[in-house]
Amino acid sequence: MVFDFNFVKEAFPIILMAVPMTLFLAVTSMLIGLVIGLIIALIRIYKVPVLRRIAEIYVSFIRGTPLVVQIYLAYYALPYEIVKIANDWGAGWTEKSLPSTLYAIVAFSLNASGYLSEAIRSALESVDAGQMEAAYSIGMTRMQGMIRIVIPQALIVALPNFGNLFLGLIKGTSIAFMISVREIMAVSVIEASVGYDFVETYLMAAIIYLAICFIFERLFKVIESNLKAHRAEITA
Amino acid sequence: MGQIIANAAGVILPALIKALPITLYMMVMSLIFGTILAVLLTAVSLRSKGPAKAIASGYVTFFRGTPELVQLYLIFFGMPQILTLLGIDISNWSAVSFAIITFSLNVAAYLSEVMRSAYLSVEPGQRDAAFSIGMSNLQALRRVVLPQAFAVALPNLGNTCIILLKDTSLAFTIGVIDIMGMAQIISARDFGVAQVEIYIVVSLIYWAMCVMLEQCSAYFEKIYKLGSAALT
Repeated sequence: MVFDFNFVKEAFPIILMAVPMTLFLAVTSMLIGLVIGLIIALIRIYKVPVLRRIAEIYVSFIRGTPLVVQIYLAYYALPYEIVKIANDWGAGWTEKSLPSTLYAIVAFSLNASGYLSEAIRSALESVDAGQMEAAYSIGMTRMQGMIRIVIPQALIVALPNFGNLFLGLIKGTSIAFMISVREIMAVSVIEASVGYDFVETYLMAAIIYLAICFIFERLFKVIESNLKAHRAEITA
Repeated sequence: MGQIIANAAGVILPALIKALPITLYMMVMSLIFGTILAVLLTAVSLRSKGPAKAIASGYVTFFRGTPELVQLYLIFFGMPQILTLLGIDISNWSAVSFAIITFSLNVAAYLSEVMRSAYLSVEPGQRDAAFSIGMSNLQALRRVVLPQAFAVALPNLGNTCIILLKDTSLAFTIGVIDIMGMAQIISARDFGVAQVEIYIVVSLIYWAMCVMLEQCSAYFEKIYKLGSAALT
């Protein structure tokens, strides 16, 4: 067996066509996760009485269970519940009519929200309390103070963590293959099983993931340096 | 509801617990081999320049930039093919061995980054001071630098262990009968009836293990810090 370059030439475009699905899963889950994560972070920061305990347990559960298990839980628990609720409202759905991608996004979003809430929380708490006090002292409301003063500073602290989490999410989308979502890993497995060209196919998949991660790493670095542009770096 | 919990506790849990040793075995072995490899990688990336350092850096980039699932499949399916070219036949190795190889290589990449940053966080003055009282390179390393680096590395080491434990849950895709593998067997046996309960129990087992690991890590951090009173 020599490295089958012909196979690589044929299969590479096919695997590339699955990249949009991977990116779609990652970006959507990241955005939804950010919203949920922000809510959870705020609940924990402001120590809302009952919800705070629930939020802590939620975050501990998300961070303490593997992504695969969360995906399987979503995949086996959600269809029945969603169909039941939809049919109560009169839609004639069956469990087969819902795409697996839906459950994958739910699982990834909840997973991302757990980790993102910790990143958001630590970033918000790293901004000096004096900043908020100064905002109050010139008459800003809490919302204005948050949006204009605190969040921009917190964003710079949070961005590296967000970048790492997003890269982790991109790698995590490979697990959606287990519930038959046609992303990069699923297509690779199908291609590999055709001619038993395992090494070539999985190396291609690996290189594609590396390229995606590299591009987003650069993107996050550019965003970071843009946000930090107004700060003078102290050079020792 | 009571019957569901009774079924979960009485039937599912014992069956899954039987597979727990395999999960722990994979985690511990991967940790051991991964640490050895990580020490090597860290030494190379700290001391060498040129090709060796590039190889180490490329290795870390590869294993941190690709999903664990891809790595598992690449090594499980690819390694036998490549080794057959060299005339070595490993077709009767167990799936656990491939899983341990993959996780060791993977965790070594992350551990080497942890070790490298911990080592670099110790100020050079410490090493200079050690040399100034006549210690050799190895003595300075062992007595002065490494203890301080270890204290810095401990939280990250704990996190990496927890992540490793969760990564081992993927081994069932190459046929390892660990907790997840057993869960698949049980759910297939019952014609897919109790799937949600099974995976809820699985998630509770992993959750419990991770919480225990977190407590262990916090405990070790505490005892390790007991000796170092702040100098400031």
